[in-house]
Amino acid sequence: MQLGFLVDLHLCMGCKGCEIACKVENEVPLSTWRLRVKYVDVGTFPETKRTFTPLRCNHCENAPCERICPVSALHYIDNGIVNIDKERCIGCAGCVMACPYGAIYIDPETQTADKCTYCAHRIASSMMPACVVACPVGANIFGDLEDPKSNISIYIQEARGDVQVRKPEKGTNPHHFYTGAGNVHLNPLASQRIEGYNLFNKITHLPLGGHHE
Amino acid sequence: MIHETFAATNAVVTLDVALPDIFWGWYVTMNMWAKSIGTGLIFMLFLLHRKNSSEMSGLRTPAIIVSFVMMNIFLLFTLADLHQPFRMWHIFFYPHWTSAITVGAWMATIFVGLEFVMMAMMIRKDKCLLTKNATASFDKLLFWVTLLAIPVTLYTAGIMAEATARELWQMPTESVQMLLAATLSGSAAIILLGGSKLSAETKNFFASILGLSALLAFILYMSEYIFGSMKAEEVTATLAYIKGDGEYATMFWIGQWVAYILPMILVALYRVSKSNSILTLAAILAIAGLWVVKHVWLVIPQLLPMS
Repeated sequence: MQLGFLVDLHLCMGCKGCEIACKVENEVPLSTWRLRVKYVDVGTFPETKRTFTPLRCNHCENAPCERICPVSALHYIDNGIVNIDKERCIGCAGCVMACPYGAIYIDPETQTADKCTYCAHRIASSMMPACVVACPVGANIFGDLEDPKSNISIYIQEARGDVQVRKPEKGTNPHHFYTGAGNVHLNPLASQRIEGYNLFNKITHLPLGGHHE
Repeated sequence: MIHETFAATNAVVTLDVALPDIFWGWYVTMNMWAKSIGTGLIFMLFLLHRKNSSEMSGLRTPAIIVSFVMMNIFLLFTLADLHQPFRMWHIFFYPHWTSAITVGAWMATIFVGLEFVMMAMMIRKDKCLLTKNATASFDKLLFWVTLLAIPVTLYTAGIMAEATARELWQMPTESVQMLLAATLSGSAAIILLGGSKLSAETKNFFASILGLSALLAFILYMSEYIFGSMKAEEVTATLAYIKGDGEYATMFWIGQWVAYILPMILVALYRVSKSNSILTLAAILAIAGLWVVKHVWLVIPQLLPMS
């Protein structure tokens, strides 16, 4: 079994229901996110469009976080999920430095690394991840990539060429796919970050991992 | 490519909460800097032993003590940088051998242990229980410690290579930079420690190592600075922080001048004038500048948004 995610960006409307469901399900602390939806505004007024991209751990086949973790706190489980053992983590932040997707953070409460686990605890009880259940438009498709009859496999087959991953050049072989994605969705360097352009400005950030700047 | 994309799409991020943050800050800089001096001193002591062992008589004890202290500073900052420092023992009881962090922690621990033995032998020469001829045993052990110093100084480059997200840190460039940092700071440290105990010929020898290390490291940085942007978009974006009015441009050039350019000039002047003060100044600048150089190179890839 190899579990994977596909996000249909044609359907996603940026409601952040998945983000909130994840926060609640996994008790994710303030200022940190296992799953978040990035907004990028494209075009010049009045010809503008807002794009939405849910971002979470890619559960890579060749996961840099797993490789760099000195104590195997990050490890593969049988269904292909890259899981984390917070009791074992020493908080070296090697995984934070290694993840090309910025999906790992230091939990300010436990002072250990944390990230999306595809809700491994729910899957163990034969439930879908919280974000899948919460999505009002079914944009999150989750299932076994090795089963050709699973929803995700059928979706990938039907989408044909329109299936992409983030940063394929890194050689991580993510198990997280997107359809309907453009460069602006997937490439962090394809959009500007301008002070004052955020929907929420003057945000106060709690001190997270960078405790020795 | 980036600018073309901007012009075509005018894409602006309007909501992305995971802002980039510096996770490995000056504690890690201290770690790399202290380790370079600690291992570099061992390399230089070994070279001195091979070149002219008679000049080692007054240097064995101070050099091993300084190296041991620097290695302990390195270990202390490594530990302090952990968010869960009291779980450090997990590295030894749950080791994950694909991680350069694990391999490095083990090797550094063995290295420091051997240094402790060497130091104890020299300090308690007369009452040494291990051997009757402490100096000869020190020199024998020095060979094995030097061999171990190579991977100990290199393993941080392995960690940087495993940090897949940070395109700037490439292998084998980082390996060479780590070795050059060790030879630069090691030669500088032994020049300062040796003082009048070193003959003019030996001083010339270490001055040459200092100058050449500075030159080679400077060439590597300049190669990256000039040509790095021509290969990868992420490197282009990272190097922007040290170019033009980039956030770290001033600090980058201060580091290059203090660690490399000025020591190179001063070593050249020393070879002409034979002034010990000039050589001492070159050594001090190299050691101080190395910290700045390492810090800039450590921090700038972390400023880049990953999502």
